[in-house]
Order: sequence, then C-alpha cells, then structure tokens
Amino acid sequence: MNSPNPFDVIKADVLNVIEESPQIKTFQLKLEKPLKFETGQFVELSVPGIGEAPFTPSSSHYQDPFEMDVSIMNAGFVTGKVHKVKAGDILGIRGPYGKGYPLDKFKGKDVLLLGGGVGLAPLRCLLLTLIHDIDDYKSITVCFGARSPEDMIYKNFFLEWDKIDKIHLMTCVDKIPDGEKWDGKVGVVPILLDDIKIDPKNAVSIVCGPPIMMKFGTFALVDKGFKDENIYLSMEKKMYCGFGQCRHCVIGEYYACKDGPVFSYDMIKGAEKIWE
Amino acid sequence: MASSKIPLLVERFDFIKLIQNVQENFDVFLPYQTEYDGKDNLSYKKYSGDNDFVLNKYRTIDPLKTLFYLTSESVLPPSAESRKRIVLGVKNCDLLALRIYDKALLEDNFVEPNYKIWRENTYIISSDCDDALQSCHCNLMEYTPYPQKDDGLFDLNLSQIDDKYIVTLGSKKGEKLLDLLYEHCNVKDAPEDILEKLTVQRDKVNKKLSEINKDFSAKRDYSKISKNQDVKVWSELSKECVECGGCTNICPSCYCIIVNDESVGADFKRIRTWDSCQLTGYAEVAGGGSPRERVWERFRNRYQCKFDFMKKNFSQYGCTGCGRCIAVCPAEIDQREVIKKLQEV
Ligand SMILES: Cc1cc2nc3c(=O)[nH]c(=O)nc-3n(C[C@H](O)[C@H](O)[C@H](O)COP(=O)(O)OP(=O)(O)OC[C@H]3O[C@@H](n4cnc5c(N)ncnc54)[C@H](O)[C@@H]3O)c2cc1C
Ligand code: SF4
Ligand code: SF4
Ligand code: SF4
Ligand code: FES
Repeated sequence: MNSPNPFDVIKADVLNVIEESPQIKTFQLKLEKPLKFETGQFVELSVPGIGEAPFTPSSSHYQDPFEMDVSIMNAGFVTGKVHKVKAGDILGIRGPYGKGYPLDKFKGKDVLLLGGGVGLAPLRCLLLTLIHDIDDYKSITVCFGARSPEDMIYKNFFLEWDKIDKIHLMTCVDKIPDGEKWDGKVGVVPILLDDIKIDPKNAVSIVCGPPIMMKFGTFALVDKGFKDENIYLSMEKKMYCGFGQCRHCVIGEYYACKDGPVFSYDMIKGAEKIWE
Repeated sequence: MASSKIPLLVERFDFIKLIQNVQENFDVFLPYQTEYDGKDNLSYKKYSGDNDFVLNKYRTIDPLKTLFYLTSESVLPPSAESRKRIVLGVKNCDLLALRIYDKALLEDNFVEPNYKIWRENTYIISSDCDDALQSCHCNLMEYTPYPQKDDGLFDLNLSQIDDKYIVTLGSKKGEKLLDLLYEHCNVKDAPEDILEKLTVQRDKVNKKLSEINKDFSAKRDYSKISKNQDVKVWSELSKECVECGGCTNICPSCYCIIVNDESVGADFKRIRTWDSCQLTGYAEVAGGGSPRERVWERFRNRYQCKFDFMKKNFSQYGCTGCGRCIAVCPAEIDQREVIKKLQEV
C-alpha cells in the first residue's frame, strides 16, 4: 500500500495577476495536474521555499480542473510574498480540503450571499457555481461590502451579474474617501439586509468576511428571521495541514479543515469565541 | 514458528543474546536509567552493547512519540528511515497514546508519511510496570499498568519476574519476533508458579497505584471541564502556569505541529515541528486575532482537548495517565488536582 504524500504539491504556473484592490490580487493559475474541488473547499498554496497558507479558489468549480483563480489579500508573511509573484512564476498547490457548501440544501430556495473584503473570494466561487445551475435556485441575493470603493473587488463583474434575472445585487462601502466615486450604499454590510426582498424563514444565507463582519452579519441575519441552521459561515482558523493532523484549527470537537471550513451556525454556536 | 504454549518463559541473560544477535538487521531501543534528575528516571537509548537496560519499573521520561513522531522532521521529502527497529520496555500508557496517533495520522486519505514509515518498520515489545512513580495515574483513567492483548497495540509483551521474562504474543507482527526468540534463546513454556507470581506482582502494583492516588477518584465528571467557562475558576487554576509548553511536549498523546518550508538550493523542504497549544501564537491568525488570547484560555484548552474533544474525535481520552505533565511542570501544577478542584465548583 503506497499512499500519496499529503504534503506534496502540484506545480502551478502563474498565468496572470489581476490587481483587484490595493490589498487584494487575483492569481490565475495553470496546474500541472488537475485539481478538482467543490465550491467551499479550500487549498494550500505555497511559494516554494517560503511557506504556504490556506485559500479558497475564487473561480467556479465547473472550470477546467487544470485552471484556478485564487484571490489573495496581503495580510502577512506568506501572503506578502505571494503578492510579489508575477506572471510566469511558479507556485505550489495541494488540496482540496474540507467540505464544500451543501448545494443540495440550497436547491429550490432563495439564496443570500453576505460578504465583505477578501471574503468575496469564496463567495465568487459559489456565485459562479450557482449561476451555472441557475435554474436550480429560486433567487440569489448578493450583498457585498468593502471598506471603500477602491477596496471593492470584482467590480467589473457586477454589471454582468446584475443582468441575470434571478440575481439581486446590492453593494455598500463603509466610507467614500475624497476623490473616489460610489453609486451604491454607504454603511456596513448588514445594512444591505434592510432591502432584501426574500422571506428569511425559507432562505439560506452564506456569510464570509472579516471576523467582525461575520459576527454582526450573523446577528443581523438572525434578527431578520434566518434560522441558525440556514446560516452558513466560513471559519478561517489558523491552519497548517488542512487535513486534521496539526489540530490548530479545532473549534470544539470539530476541525475547521475537515468538518468545515463552512459550518452552519447551529453547529458551532455553542463553541466559545468563534468570531476571533 | 515452533508450536508452543503461550505464555512462554525466557531468562534475562538469554534474552540479551537476541538483542545482540539482531543488531545487523534492527536498531534496538531500550529504557536505561539516566543521570538526569536522580536515579528514578528512565530514558530510551539505542542499544550499543550496554546490558543494564530496565524493561520493568515504570515509564521513561521521554514519551514514546520521540521515536515515532520526532520533534522536527522533513515531511517533503519524508525523512524517516525505513530500517527495521525494535523498541522494548514500552509501557501501557505510551501504547494507548500510540492508538491516538494511529487514528490521527494514518487515517483514510491523509497518511502522515514519516509516521507511517516509523510505525510500519518498528516492532514493539512492551513490558509490565512493576512499580509506579508518584505522578502515575493510569488507574484513574481506568487503564492497567500492563498492556491488554485486546487493545492490539503490542507485538510481544515481557513481564519481568526476578531474572526471567514471561512472554506473551500481542499481534501477528509479533510472530516474527517469536521466531527470533526461538532462534536465539532457550524458550520454555511458562510454569504455573511463575504465572502465579505475575498475578501477585500485578496486584501489588495496582495497590501501589491506588495508594499513590488515594486522594483522587476515577469517577470524575469530565463534562465539567467544557461546561465551566468561569474566568475566575480557570484563572485561579492556571495562575502559576508559565506557559512553557512542557506539559504538551512531554505528553505521549499530544501531536500538535506546525509546518514550514525551507529552501534547499533551487528546491525546498517541508518541515513539521512539534507545537503546543499552551503557547501564545498557537491559534493566532493573520491580523492578530486569536480565539485564546489569555493564559487561562489556553490552559483550559488543554483540558478540553484531552477530556472532551479527543474523546469525541478518537473515542478515547487524550490522557492515559502517564503523569509526565505533572512531573515536568515547573509550576508544579498537578492535573489530578485540577480535575479534582473542578469537581467541586
Ligand atoms: C479555509 C481558509 C480559506 C481562506 N481563504 C482565503 C482567500 O481566499 N483569500 C485570502 O486572502 N485569504 C484567505 N484565507 C486567509 C489566509 O489563509 C491568511 O490571510 C494567511 O494564512 C495569512 O498568512 P500570512 O503568512 O501572510 O500571515 P502572517 O500573519 O504573517 O502569518 C500567519 C501565520 O503564518 C506563520 N508564519 C508567519 N511568518 C512565518 C515565517 N516567517 N515562517 C513560517 N511561518 C510563518 C505563522 O505561524 C503565522 O501565525 C483563508 C483562510 C482559511 C483558513
Ligand atoms: S491542542 Fe494542546 S492538548 Fe491538544 S494535542 Fe495539541 S498541544 Fe496537546
Ligand atoms: S495529559 Fe499528562 S498524564 Fe495524561 S497522557 Fe499526557 S502527559 Fe500523561
Ligand atoms: S508545564 Fe506547567 S507551566 Fe508549563 S505550560 Fe504546562 S501547565 Fe503551564
Ligand atoms: S488545519 Fe491542521 S488540523 Fe485542521
């Protein structure tokens, strides 16, 4: 019996780097071997000899498995190094890890995506996947936020998404600095929920973003009438292995890497300090 | 394999011949008395002709994981050696912890490459404890100070009676060791009177454990650990903790690690190194957020991990009662006391 080394990587050529915002870049990768994933699962991406970190693909899971987009915020050591990477450079990738979004439970329902900052990355992956099977869902409400207009990523997709009948897109920024333009709302992401046109009792919501946004976003959803079991949260815990062997990601009895990274709120509500 | 009735009996001086004769094909590790911190301590050493090894007595200071999950190892490419090994004198508290490792590291799709190599190439010859240290408390975890065949964790077990070893078989792998035993030693069926002595000896050590732990009960309500979130209680329990991480590093069932990459010329190596949930940065994410910022939160996490989370993950507590965390703690925090105090609040 010869099991593959779970720490081994697939070579990933960087085809293109897109500057989404001052802090966030999207890396378009061409993989040496196929890596098939389900939306919601994540990968470990490494700069050879420097280190690795977990990221969620931002491209659809229907995309050619030799290709993947990953959107990365410059947040520290490894991500800082990743941000120096240019088209033509080589990265390493391993995965996929964790469980995908339970798409079966979304079918026939109103789906609401609530995201902020780089949290839009996994949500774009999900949205592209939902769009692919748009007939399966009743409607899709997209609530995206950012600190300021220039921090809002994927802006150039907004027009295209908004054209789709079943999609209702709403965006907001915390503030508009001098010299920047913005037609959408101003405020923190939960304010977008004031304008939703769906019945929360029968809808599912998927939340991803900075911890503080996740926290107040979740509370706002509960206030609106979303059931705990219909609120799905991406838990970005510290991770080293991705498959249950470093224990760094545990939330109570669950591993964020194996049992998550997406959890329904009722599953982890009781665990302490989930927002930090 | 010669057909004989197990348990068998072999003289200690004769058994040494086996160790000497297999040197070409095996690295052999055995417990020896160490200079460190008085003569009560045993520690694993690779055999190099010294026959003063101690298979009986009690656990070593170093947990068995130091031979299966080294402090720091390259996982890419795997650095473990596939040379065959025999580890002797392994005690039940270490064996039971190995079961947690097996479940965590050899599971379904993700097999830890080094652990698999070390584990597959190592034969384990366990031994009864015929004595106990003040920190020993396997009895409180409802384990015995000698291995149980049903656990399937040892290949052979040697119970020392005077200058003899009673040999029992624990696994299929152990049959290969039995062959070696027959090849190199004079092996007999264990006579009744020796087996009776073993029963007496086991009773004695069980009594000693009860005596050592007379202030504590095995009937402890572990759910109190996770239920109790009282800052005051936990701050008090952990107030002497200096966050050295000793208790987790020395624990045979803790397996937390970090992974980092090192470049080697144009290529790179991926290294995993032991980590400890008692250290500040353990769960901290980019940007500085941490679910367990305070000492008492990290201190409590260890208890939750061992007595709640691991029980759910592996159907077994993350503690086997080896007592090493008690012996090592510079703040003299006794895990038994902590759990006892939690029963009372
Ligand atoms: C499931 C999941 C999905 C994610 N998806 C995305 C995503 O799509 N996009 C995105 O932008 N972010 C995503 N993140 C967050 C992202 O993983 C973190 O921002 C990233 O890990 C930060 O790494 P860093 O090294 O840059 O940050 P740091 O804060 O520098 O480091 C984080 C940790 O890395 C280690 N480290 C730091 N320096 C070194 C060093 N010199 N050598 C070795 N190790 C070091 C340390 O242990 C440190 O605590 C996701 C996280 C998770 C858990
Ligand atoms: S979380 Fe702590 S107690 Fe649990 S295995 Fe890791 S280091 Fe040990
Ligand atoms: S928690 Fe302490 S007593 Fe229990 S197995 Fe670990 S080191 Fe031994
Ligand atoms: S060994 Fe003692 S002082 Fe060190 S981290 Fe553990 S409890 Fe704290
Ligand atoms: S990331 Fe290592 S256990 Fe979850």
